[in-house]
Amino acid sequence: MIKYFATIWETVTTLLTGMGVTWRHMVAIRRDNVTLQYPEERWPRPERDIGFDHDKYNVIRSRLHVDIDDCIGCLKCERVCPVDCIKIDTVKVLNRGADIPNIRHKGITSFGTKKALVVTRFDIDMTECCYCNLCVYPCPEECIYMTGGPNAEKHDIDYEFSEYDRNDLIYRFAKKVSDEDVTNATTETQEVTD
Amino acid sequence: MTVDQLIDWFPISATWPGLTFLLAVLICAVPVFLFIAVYALVVIYGELKISSFMQDKVGPMGQGVGLHAWRWGLLQPVADALKLILKEDIIPASADKKLFILAPFIVFIGAFIAFSALPFSQTLIIADMNIGVFYILAVSSLGVIGLIMAGWSSNNKWSLYGAMRSAAQIISYEIPAALSIIAVIMLTSTMSMQGIIQYQSGFIWGFLPNWLIFNNPFMFVAFFIFFISGVAECNRTPFDIPEAESELVAGAFTEYSGMRYAFFFLSEYANMFVVAGVAATAFLGGWQSPIPGIFNSPAWGLWWFMSKTMFLIFVMIWFRWTFPRLRVDQLMSACWKGFTPIALVNIFGVGIWYLTLG
Repeated sequence: MIKYFATIWETVTTLLTGMGVTWRHMVAIRRDNVTLQYPEERWPRPERDIGFDHDKYNVIRSRLHVDIDDCIGCLKCERVCPVDCIKIDTVKVLNRGADIPNIRHKGITSFGTKKALVVTRFDIDMTECCYCNLCVYPCPEECIYMTGGPNAEKHDIDYEFSEYDRNDLIYRFAKKVSDEDVTNATTETQEVTD
Repeated sequence: MTVDQLIDWFPISATWPGLTFLLAVLICAVPVFLFIAVYALVVIYGELKISSFMQDKVGPMGQGVGLHAWRWGLLQPVADALKLILKEDIIPASADKKLFILAPFIVFIGAFIAFSALPFSQTLIIADMNIGVFYILAVSSLGVIGLIMAGWSSNNKWSLYGAMRSAAQIISYEIPAALSIIAVIMLTSTMSMQGIIQYQSGFIWGFLPNWLIFNNPFMFVAFFIFFISGVAECNRTPFDIPEAESELVAGAFTEYSGMRYAFFFLSEYANMFVVAGVAATAFLGGWQSPIPGIFNSPAWGLWWFMSKTMFLIFVMIWFRWTFPRLRVDQLMSACWKGFTPIALVNIFGVGIWYLTLG
């Protein structure tokens, strides 16, 4: 009989203890909350040290970016890409180094090179990119680079580039101008020079 | 508002009594159904949030697109309901179709008709029967027929197991629940819900409201026996062995989908309200104010009844997210070796108390 009531007593007290635990967790939710409301809150990026100076060597390689005004259309990055994820089309201009305002083409790069080509298409498919960084080395104008590291001041670090459609991960860096405008711009200069 | 008053009030009641009755029933039933639907949305949201808080999560927070995207995930239950409505209604090929279709409605009706005797306030009761408590106890075990129908007609081993377990459980826990209600009826000497509440007006022990839970120590125990048996009758965790998801997939509801599943869900929440409502009425003074004498108008009565009921529902949710599920034999031994003898002793004790001190 004593055991019967002892069991009941133990049951009641242990159940109340359990309810106390959940109650404390419930009222302390704001302090103990561990869920990160992701798009509004983000974890801070951890500091990393793999033996290189962050300012000299880019350890982040978050995504490729192209400063299209500096691109001379030499196709070196397209040729070196091991997965062929870079596609470049160019059209020749006759007046080398001249600005063409109709298609927002700048004639001279920030390194002072006179451009001979209009880049009409510069697509990088980031779904195919293997982040090998090989396209960065041959670029004579240093206009294609991985964001982050020493390039952090040129472009924000972006490691969360998710999209709803896979096609949105094909980055189109070339200026958005119609083909007609490009042909007009290049043939007009041809007619003038002829 | 009672059905009888409505029937008397209708001017055509003498010429077409059948039509009048139908109209009166419709006028009472439609708001109750809407109330259950809205209340279920509120409690589902509460359950999502409370369960998350108890697990150090934040629950639905309105991330994403569409109906989910609102402050604090407030539209989450609406999105859930919409999802259940839009889902495909699957009837298994080997199922007993008639019973399979009928079962969710029987389960829901068992919970639904119990609302007709719940006193929401002094005036807001659909039918103040002289056997109110008895009626609720009787119809709330109607749901077990629907559960057995669902389990049998699904033609699935898990469904059948779940149905058998729920039948055993609900019938077992009816007994301590009814025995603790008998202790109430002994004191109030009425089975009418309004009569039980009217008995609980005024003070007891000088300062406490004269609620039956404070009436004597035996009633205090009886309240807990009734409430826990009620939780078991609702098939809520820790007594959810009929749909133990780790053992039986979803028990009797395994083969159900879409709106039919939603009806089982709705009847579970409706059952919770009935159990909490009866517990609040029989032990916590129903619509009586906690400070006797003030705030006792019908509108305040509705507020007190709802707040007491909602508190008990919160405790049920609290139970669910605290306790692990009982094993079948533990469940049965708790009922037959724990609750039933104590409830019987309680009746005896209340009788002695009533004769000597009452």
